[in-house]
Amino acid sequence: MKKVNIISILSATLLLVAHSLLATDIQYIEAMQKNIHVVYTAQSMAELQEAVNALQRIGAAEKNKWEPHYYASFGYIMMASREQDGAKKDSYLDQAMAGIEKAKTINGNDSEVVALEGFVQMMRITVDPGTRGPQYSGLAMQTFGKASAMNPDNPRALVLKAQMQFGTSKFFGSPATDACETLDLAVTKFEASASTNPLAPQWGREMATALQHECN
Amino acid sequence: MLSVFVFSSSVCQVTISGRVTDGQGEPVPGTNVFLKDTYDGASSLGDGSFEFITTAVGKADLIAKFIGYRDFVQPVLLDAQRIVVEIRLEETISELKAVTITAGAFTANDASRRTIFKAADIASTAGATADIAGALNTLPGTQKVGESGRLFVRGGDSNEARTFIDGMVVLDAYNTTAPNTPSRGRFLPFMFKGTSFSTGGYSAEYGQALSSALVLDSKDKAESTRTDIGILSVGGDVAHTQAWDRGSVAGKIQYTNIRPYFGLINQEIDWKTPPESTEAVGVFRQQVGKDGLFKFYGNFNHSNFSLYHHDINDNGVKQLYDLTNNYRYLNGSYISSINEKWSVHGGLSYSYIQNNTQIEFDNILESEKGIHAKTVFEGSLSVRVELKTGIEVMQRNYAKSIYFNADSTYSHWFNELIAAGFAEVYIYASNKFVVRIGTRLEYCNLTGKAGVDPRGSLAYKTGATSQVSFAYGKFRQSAKHNLVSINQALDAEKADHLILNYQRVENNRTFRVETYYKRYEDLVKYENGNPLLLTNTGKGFARGVELFWRDNHSIKNVDYWFSYSFLDTKREYLDFPHRATPAFATAHNLSFVYKHFVPSIRSQVGFTYSYTTGRPFNDPNTASFNKGKTPYYADLSVNVAYLPRQFLILYVSCTNVLGRDNIFGYEYSTTTDGTGAYRRRAIRQAAPRFLFLGIFITLSKDKSVNQLPSL
Repeated sequence: MKKVNIISILSATLLLVAHSLLATDIQYIEAMQKNIHVVYTAQSMAELQEAVNALQRIGAAEKNKWEPHYYASFGYIMMASREQDGAKKDSYLDQAMAGIEKAKTINGNDSEVVALEGFVQMMRITVDPGTRGPQYSGLAMQTFGKASAMNPDNPRALVLKAQMQFGTSKFFGSPATDACETLDLAVTKFEASASTNPLAPQWGREMATALQHECN
Repeated sequence: MLSVFVFSSSVCQVTISGRVTDGQGEPVPGTNVFLKDTYDGASSLGDGSFEFITTAVGKADLIAKFIGYRDFVQPVLLDAQRIVVEIRLEETISELKAVTITAGAFTANDASRRTIFKAADIASTAGATADIAGALNTLPGTQKVGESGRLFVRGGDSNEARTFIDGMVVLDAYNTTAPNTPSRGRFLPFMFKGTSFSTGGYSAEYGQALSSALVLDSKDKAESTRTDIGILSVGGDVAHTQAWDRGSVAGKIQYTNIRPYFGLINQEIDWKTPPESTEAVGVFRQQVGKDGLFKFYGNFNHSNFSLYHHDINDNGVKQLYDLTNNYRYLNGSYISSINEKWSVHGGLSYSYIQNNTQIEFDNILESEKGIHAKTVFEGSLSVRVELKTGIEVMQRNYAKSIYFNADSTYSHWFNELIAAGFAEVYIYASNKFVVRIGTRLEYCNLTGKAGVDPRGSLAYKTGATSQVSFAYGKFRQSAKHNLVSINQALDAEKADHLILNYQRVENNRTFRVETYYKRYEDLVKYENGNPLLLTNTGKGFARGVELFWRDNHSIKNVDYWFSYSFLDTKREYLDFPHRATPAFATAHNLSFVYKHFVPSIRSQVGFTYSYTTGRPFNDPNTASFNKGKTPYYADLSVNVAYLPRQFLILYVSCTNVLGRDNIFGYEYSTTTDGTGAYRRRAIRQAAPRFLFLGIFITLSKDKSVNQLPSL
């Protein structure tokens, strides 16, 4: 009897632990999904800032999760893309980089995180294309290459690369053959992409669809 | 059981609300207000208010965060249903917002947007042909001295402007050239991420510079792997950069031979062997540990030329002048943080210059070796006070031997050791007002004297886009090596700077006006005109007003700037019998730089117009000293960079397209001719124009980079 008791108590405790673990996981995933949705769809700076703040709160509480930092950085990139003032744009991108560094220390050098770093470098160009273009375009292309080398199936590294290639071909008035090749590959990867992580990055499809018009 | 839990937790719900304001009581929207280690929190609204509900109990830390403000932390006890917290955020002294000291300083940094002169400008300024000094000569405070090519700042001689790389001094920053032909800086602009050019009042960190400090910061970020090939009308170069995750190595080999060019275009100079130079540059960068960075920079150069110097009285009499120069510069530096507040920067540099000159049958062998070691600590004493302090040692060994006709020898030399320490504090009263106070202590072994040089400056924001800045400082520099080698007891030459500056930057348009007064003391003078009897009895002054206007906003794809400097200077030094304006000083200096990017032809077209009033020269046929005046100087230079493909650049530049015959001064014969007069010869440009053509090819894996920034 005693033995059974111990076992039942033990298993009950285990169950409780498992349950609470699951509960926090569910809480984490739900909170994340809500805010990820906002950074993907936000229409205003205030909305983005709010979502980024929420993601940073989650990141501060969940010390072993890389996703909050990743999405907070993505949110800052979105804020930078809406900002006209160069200095402010840079400060958002600085914040994005800080988040990327945090995500890197938790998740190692993940292909998705590296691709996001390339996105920041690409955005840096828009602050002062004349001065920064030559330097950052090379750097961004190299970073996208690095992300693809880490995971050839990462469609975001490819679609961002295609975006850069479109920019250069437009500048030089040359045919966008390279860009369209990269884009086609990105589209295939998007179609094949499947992840068991409900919080895995999903963005980039729309960017690809928009770019496809330039190839047809 | 579970329901009880839920019930009890709903009882413990606490609503936290309040308002976030800044130092002025203005609301700060978007602030992230939350309880530490929980998801519970909210962003403040447009009026600064916030409200959120938490289920946490007991003691907790309430945190508020927003860009540009210090983190706010306040412990709260969650014992009531409703807690109201008023949050007042304190502004951080941020690089983005804080006022910077602009008196005397032109800071260029491509990473920061708030620069009025960019590192990339060096490459794209017409007439500069990618020479650092050439580009800086279009800024106020400089005097164009055409036959020298060096920097002359505010009435100072060229040796008074010193170059520092990553904080380490460079001995002889210019290529060796024939007398009266312009030299180029030894350092390629593309190696640097930023330059800080100061025309006075600079930090106590920089010693041994009397008039100007040009501080070059080498790149520290690993770049992309690439190979660059340049085919130039005067030679060629190959460069390769290999980048890895946390570091990179880059090397460049350049060969220039001006002979084919001189064969085509008639030169004023009677070359025997036109200048030929081989140069190798190496850069290595590696991140170490969490935030340490090791940088190494090396420059090796070998150059030679020979020419015939014709006698002024009798052009048929000529003398051979042959020079071979070897140059090495090595610089290693390490920077790392010690803790969150303090960082350390250590560096070691080595310069070696050897000149072997043959003048007809006489041989002059000259060598200078310099070692500079420095350690600087930087950190914050409090939120608003930053300290920078360091020590350094500069060792300079100079030797010169003259072998007269191979049968008699004359040698002189010196070994100088300068030990110095400095400390400087930045006190930020607010983002609007900063004061920098520093002092520098220097000891020189040759004189056995120690000197203290106080320096101070301040800047105040008078509006959102305007500011005033003021600087004062004492500066000293050992006399030129050829003088110290004659009299080792010579004291350092000294100068006091006093600068007042007003600057306004708005929408990529900059307006700047600056006025200054500079006093020279202890300048080296020939006693009774005897160049072997040297004393520190020389004196002088310089004063002036300078204007700068830059606009890359008003006209699309156009960037232009305008500089004007007025200079009034007189000095008594070297062979001057009394106070006079030196030959390198011009009263009015004007530059207009224009750059236009034309997207339809993927080209950047630019021109630079420079004008200076006449320069003084001394006519020995008259009783007065330095009273002659040359005609004015004017130059219109143009350049075009064309990108036919993303990895290919075609570059053409031409100086003095109008072909003006500029006269920089006159050389007088040392002996009188038959009529008892000293004959003269004008010092002119070697050729009216200099045409440069280049093809630059970049090979990289992704074909997206080119050499545009390095041009």
